[in-house]
Amino acid sequence: MKKLADTLGRPLVRLLRERLGLSPGQVTWTAFWLSAAAAVAIADRHVGSGLVLMALGQILDGLDGAMARQYQLASEEGHRLDTLLDRAAEILIFLAFAIAELVPLGHALLAIAAVLLLTTVCDRSGLDPGMKRFALYFGAWIPYPTLFAAIFGVNLAAYVVGLLIIDCQFQVRMDQLGGDLDTVASRAVAGEKSYQLSATSHQSPRKPPPDSLPAFNPGTPTADS
Amino acid sequence: MKIFTHILATTLGVQALDLHGRDAALAYGFGVAVDIDHALKAPFYLRAVGLRDQRGYYWRSSLQEPVAFLWIAPLCLWLGTAVPLLFFAIHLLMDYSVSFEKMPFYPYSGWVTRGWLVNVPDNLKEAVLFVALLVANVALWMARR
Repeated sequence: MKKLADTLGRPLVRLLRERLGLSPGQVTWTAFWLSAAAAVAIADRHVGSGLVLMALGQILDGLDGAMARQYQLASEEGHRLDTLLDRAAEILIFLAFAIAELVPLGHALLAIAAVLLLTTVCDRSGLDPGMKRFALYFGAWIPYPTLFAAIFGVNLAAYVVGLLIIDCQFQVRMDQLGGDLDTVASRAVAGEKSYQLSATSHQSPRKPPPDSLPAFNPGTPTADS
Repeated sequence: MKIFTHILATTLGVQALDLHGRDAALAYGFGVAVDIDHALKAPFYLRAVGLRDQRGYYWRSSLQEPVAFLWIAPLCLWLGTAVPLLFFAIHLLMDYSVSFEKMPFYPYSGWVTRGWLVNVPDNLKEAVLFVALLVANVALWMARR
């Protein structure tokens, strides 16, 4: 998906970067302000123009990452800013639908909660169905309360599955650790913490390489047992 | 705790609260069926241990840890019922009386605990609870007849 977006957006990225001299961060902020304007329009019951502004914001939002990759400007901070402003934009837009009385406030708040929960795990699990603002374009055909129910359900389900994916990743580490099964969780957590500490001090990747851990052999207890 | 003890506890709650239809299904879903994550761990067990009986394997997942309240609470608000929250809490209380290692808030925290009543043997706790729940279920069922 990213490759496709990069290819399709290349002329626009070039325009934004080389003609207008914008940085990826500035594009991220512009996308956010367009979404904020969309929220104001929707809250004022101008849903059509609001959705157009939201679409423009989402197009720009797709270009900031493409620009960062194309010009080797990608950074952890940029990713964090992008995620933060994406969620802020979604909160504003979802609340705007509630203010416009197109959905009950409770539904908007629960959809926001589900999206925020998913955000806390999607980087680690790698699972993000991408059903947030995008679903709102279908409002011409599907009632907004149904769309918010779908946003809530899909994001909450993805959160649960994301947690399970992370659990499975941790299980693999525990299985590789082996030794006394009665203490394997605490030893795996301790190993994870010490690796993260050393990774932070050496600026190396966060995850331990799988072959750095001893093979699982429950029949032969280690010194820990 | 073993699945039969969870079934007895949930059945007692369903009887006591006189739950039917959707609420009864939710009660069994969150009181018993959350144990389905053990099936998810089965391929890992088979790969790591094989077909041998190896006690103490880490079968738990966040599906039945307190961290799950983060998604169960919004779900309850959406459904307009506290039944999932209540029966999940009962499931947790029972599981936390067994002294295996547990990670209540993983992946947000790496805190590991063995739960409560750790000095009482697991088999004794399970047996006492099983008998108590069985007696309570039968007594309530007979009282309702």
